[in-house]
Amino acid sequence: MAKKKAKRPTPAQQARKAKLTAKDKKTLKSLIGLADGVVRQASRGRAPYIEVPSRSLSNVKYSPTKKIIEMGSSKNKRELFNLSQARTYMQTLLVGRGCKELIEQGKTTSIRGLYYLLKHTIEGTKEETFNDQGDCDPVIEDVEVTLNALREELHVYASNRGAMVGNIQLIDSGDEIDCSRMGSGGYAIPSIVEEEVMQFVNCDADFILHVEKDTVWRRFNEDKFWKEHNCILTHGNGQPPRGVRRLLSRMHNELGLPIFCLLDNDPWGYYIYSVIKQGSINLAYESRRMAIPGAKFIGLRSRDYELCELNPSVTIKLSDNDIKRANQIAKYPWFEKKKRWQKEIQKMLSNGFKLEVEALISKDISYVTQEYVPERLAEANFLD
Amino acid sequence: MAAKQRSISVSEFFAKNRHLLGFDNPRKALLTTVKEAVDNSLDACEEAGIGPEIWVTITQTEPDRYKVSIQDNGPGILKKQIPLIFGKLLYGSKFHRLRMSRGQQGIGISAAGMYGMLTTGKPVKIVSKLSIRKPAHYYELQIDTKTNNPQILNNRGDGLDIPAGEKGRVIMEKKKIEWESHYPVPEFPELAEGQEPPDPVEVRSGTRVTLEIEAKYQRGRGSVDEYLEMTAIANPHVTLHYLDPEGTLHTYSRSTDQLPPEAKEIKPHPYGVELGRLVTMLKEMKEGTITQFLTSSFSRVSPAVARRICEAADVSTRSGVKKISRDDADKIYKAIQKTKIKAPSTDCIAPIGEELLLKGLHQVVPGEFYVAATRPPSVYRGNPFQIECALAYGGQNAAQKVSKELLDRLIDETDARTLRQFLMNTFDGLGADSAEKIMKAGEFGSRQSPSKLKQEEIDRLHDCMKNVNVSDGQSMQILRYANRVPLQFKMRDCAITQTVMKMNWRSYGLSQSRGNLPSGPVRVMVHLASVWVPFTSESKEAIAHYDEIQKEIRLGLQTVGRKLGMFLRRRQQVKKEGERRNVFVRYLGEVAQAVSDLNGVERDDIYNHLTRVAKRVTKEADTKLDDRGNKVTEGNYGDNVLIIPDNPEDGLTEQVNNTTPQKKLF
Repeated sequence: MAKKKAKRPTPAQQARKAKLTAKDKKTLKSLIGLADGVVRQASRGRAPYIEVPSRSLSNVKYSPTKKIIEMGSSKNKRELFNLSQARTYMQTLLVGRGCKELIEQGKTTSIRGLYYLLKHTIEGTKEETFNDQGDCDPVIEDVEVTLNALREELHVYASNRGAMVGNIQLIDSGDEIDCSRMGSGGYAIPSIVEEEVMQFVNCDADFILHVEKDTVWRRFNEDKFWKEHNCILTHGNGQPPRGVRRLLSRMHNELGLPIFCLLDNDPWGYYIYSVIKQGSINLAYESRRMAIPGAKFIGLRSRDYELCELNPSVTIKLSDNDIKRANQIAKYPWFEKKKRWQKEIQKMLSNGFKLEVEALISKDISYVTQEYVPERLAEANFLD
Repeated sequence: MAAKQRSISVSEFFAKNRHLLGFDNPRKALLTTVKEAVDNSLDACEEAGIGPEIWVTITQTEPDRYKVSIQDNGPGILKKQIPLIFGKLLYGSKFHRLRMSRGQQGIGISAAGMYGMLTTGKPVKIVSKLSIRKPAHYYELQIDTKTNNPQILNNRGDGLDIPAGEKGRVIMEKKKIEWESHYPVPEFPELAEGQEPPDPVEVRSGTRVTLEIEAKYQRGRGSVDEYLEMTAIANPHVTLHYLDPEGTLHTYSRSTDQLPPEAKEIKPHPYGVELGRLVTMLKEMKEGTITQFLTSSFSRVSPAVARRICEAADVSTRSGVKKISRDDADKIYKAIQKTKIKAPSTDCIAPIGEELLLKGLHQVVPGEFYVAATRPPSVYRGNPFQIECALAYGGQNAAQKVSKELLDRLIDETDARTLRQFLMNTFDGLGADSAEKIMKAGEFGSRQSPSKLKQEEIDRLHDCMKNVNVSDGQSMQILRYANRVPLQFKMRDCAITQTVMKMNWRSYGLSQSRGNLPSGPVRVMVHLASVWVPFTSESKEAIAHYDEIQKEIRLGLQTVGRKLGMFLRRRQQVKKEGERRNVFVRYLGEVAQAVSDLNGVERDDIYNHLTRVAKRVTKEADTKLDDRGNKVTEGNYGDNVLIIPDNPEDGLTEQVNNTTPQKKLF
C-alpha cells in the first residue's frame, strides 16, 4: 500500500486547473524559484543547497516593543551533497512539488494528506521517501519559512482542534454561522480562518474567554456562561493550533475584544499562555499574525489553593520534569522582567504541586463558572 | 635388589616412552612419521642444493594399519650409512653442530621405524639412489632395541643393489619395491593440438623410506594434511605430491626456484654454555692453554676477551687445560657470565624472507590481504635466532568451502561425540560461538551425535555451514614454525601463541576479548629460525618462553598488525565512500523529478547535471586524508604487502611495492 507510486498529474488533471488567486500566483512563483535555484546551481557544476531559516531557540528574539517572539535572520544551508542532509533536501523538494500540485488544482489537504501524496518507495531501493508523519511535518514547516509562505498559502491545513460558542455571527466558506446557536458541541474552528475564507458578520460579545481543554469548555457552555456574561468561549484542546490562535488574534484585533485565558496551574499552562501571548518558538515566523500581546491570564494561580481553600487531595505533585520546565519558563525573556510572574512561578515551585482547572469542581460542580471566573473578572484580577 | 640393576638402552627407553617422541596415539603417530621423514628429506635436499620434490603416499592396509612412503629427490645416502641412519636411535649429523636445520637430535625417523616394528612387526624399507647411473640400494631394516643397533633383514643381511635403467625397473617390479622413477608431467591444458606432451624427466637420485605402522587417518586439526599444507607455506621452494588414503592427489607446487641460502655452522657462544658442558669441552681439549681453549672453542672470544675472563676467574692465562680443576671451571663459568662478550654473529641464520613468505602464504591460504615481516636477528642465551611474521586476511573459512562429499566422509571418520565438538575439532578457526550458530540455524540438538545423522540432516548441515556467517565468531588462526617445520600441537603452551594472545589487536582493527585470540578471518604465521630452537619437550611441539624471543615475536607481529590496520581502515573508508555515493545517487532521481515537476525543466537534463556534480563531490572525498594526515592512496603500505582485488576470478594479483631482491638485513 505504502509503496504506491506518487500520483503524478495526468494531462487530464492538469487541464482541470483551477483559477488561481493572486496569492496562489505568488506562492507558485516562489515554488518555481526554488526549483530554478537547483537548476542554476547544478548546471554550473555547483553542489545545490537551499537556505532554510533556522527555527531553533537560538534564532528567535523577543521584541520588547512589539511584545512578541520574532524570528532572527540566521539561516541553515541544506545541501544535497551532505550525508546527513541529502534525505531532507530531497524531501523538501518533494513537499514543494506536492504543494504546487495542490495549488494548481485549487485543492487543500491536511498535512497527513500531503504525507500520503508524497510517500512512495524510491526507485531501485527499499527506502521510503517519508517513513512517517513525523518525518514530513518539519519539512512542511521548513518550506513555509523558506518561501515565506503561510501554510494556508501552500494549501495545507492542520487537523481541526478547538471549538467556539458565543454571540458572534460569521461566514465560513460562504455559509453563515451563528455561534450562539451551536448546541453543546460548539463551532469547530477550522485551521484556515483567513479573510478569504472567514468573514465576521456581527459580534455583540464583550470579551473572549479561552480555556485550555474541552472538559472545562463544556462546563462553561452547559452553564451558559457566555450568555450570562456576553462573551465568546473558545478552547484549543491543549496547546492551541494555528487556526484557533489566528482566529483569536483576528477577533482581538479586528473586533477589539479583550482575551482572558483560564489554564491549568502547571508549567504547561504557563507555556500555553506564553504561546497565545507571544507566539511559539517553532512558529516564530507567524507570531506577527498570531500572537496576542494583550491576552490576560486569569488562572489558575498558585495562591488559589489557599484562597479557594482547596482540599489537599486535588493537588498533583510536581515531577522533576515539571520543575525543570518551570525554571526554563521563568528564564524566558518575556517572563523574566515580570515580577508578578516570577512570584507566581516561585509560588508554584514552593507549593511543590500543580492544580488543574477541574480541581475547582471539588468545591462545587459550577464553582468555576459561578464564582471563580466572575469574581476575578469583576475584580479585574489577572496576570499580564 | 642390587643384582637387578642394569643399564637401559636408549631404544628400550623410548620404546616404553614413545609419547616423548610424539607417538602417543595412532593418529599422532601417523603425523610424526610423515613429519620426521619429510623434515629429513628437506634438510638433505637443501644441503645438497637440490630443489626439493617430495612424494608422500599413505595407503591403508588393514583397519588400523597404514603404509607410509616418503620419497625425495635428494642426494641419496651412502650404502653403509643407510642402516645406521634408519636403524639406530640418536645417530645423525645434526646433534653436535650448531647450525640451523629442521632435525636436531637424530631420533625421529629411526624412532618411527621402531614404532612400526613394535606395532606391526614390519621392517622399514629403504631405497636410496646416489646418481642416475649408479645402482640403487634397497634395505629392509629393524632396530635391535636391546643394543640400539640396526639389523638388516633382506638378502641375508647384505641389502640389495638394484642396477640402474630398465633392468632395475624389472627387478623393482618383481620384488614390489616402490620407487617414483620420473617427475610427474605437469598438465598443460593449453597444449596445442598434435603437440606431444614433454617426456617425463627421470629422478636422478633420492631416498624413499616405507614404513607400515599402526595409525589412524583423520583430517582436520593436527592432521597430516594440515602439516603438509603448513610445510608448503613455509617452504615455497618445495614441491609436494601427496596421495592420501582415499586416493586423492594433492600437489603443492613450488612458487620459487630459489633455494634458501645455506646456513652456516657456528661455534657455541660462551653465554649459551652451561657448566657441565664447559667441563666436558675442557676434557675434550687434549692440549694447549686456557686462552687457546677459549678462543678456539667459542665464537666471539678474542685473546683479549679470554684474558679478561681469566682475570675475572683468577686463573692464569697460560695455565694448561689439563690443569684446570673442577673449581677453576666453576670460576671460569661465573667469570664468563660477568664478562662483557659481543653477541654471536647472526649470519648463520637463513630466514625465509618476506617475499617468499608472501608467495608461500598466497599459494596455500586464500585471502585478500597478505603482509610479511622479517625481524633482524637477535640472541637468546648466546644462541642467535630470528623471527618472521606473516599475516593473511580474508578468504573463506574451511567450513564454508567444504564439499558435500567431503563432509560426508568427515562425518564418517570423526570420533567426536557431539556435533558441536565435530565442528570445532574438524574445522580450523571455527570457534564455539560459530559452531553454536551453525547448529542453531540447522535446528540440531545440542547433544546430537555426528555418527547418527541421517543423509538429509547432513545435507541440512552442509547448507547451514555454507550460509551461516561465521567470520564474526571466527578466531585468529596461528601457524607456528620452528626452522621451517610446522608446530601443530600444544598450542596453548607455546611462546608464540602466548605472545599473540597478550597483544592488543584491537588497535589494528580486529576485535578481541581480553586474554583471548582476536577474532576475524585472519591467519598469522610466525617462524622462529635458530641454530638451536628451545622446545619445551623432546616431541618438539612448543617453543619455550624466553623473554628475548617473545619480545622479537611481539615486534614482528606489531609490524604486520600495523599494516593490517591500515588495510582495514582503508577498506572501511572505501566502503564508506561507496555508501556515500550511493546515498546521493539514490536521491538524485527523486530530486530531478521534483525539480522537473516544479519548473518544467527536462528531468534527464537536471539529472545528468546532478550526477556530474555528485561524481565530482565524492571524488573529492576519495582523496580525503587518513587519520595520520596523509593522503589516502594506494601503495603507502610500505614493503611486502600483497593485495588481492575483490574479484579473484580475474586472477590479477597486484603486488604493491614488493621489493624484488631480498633486502639485506645483516
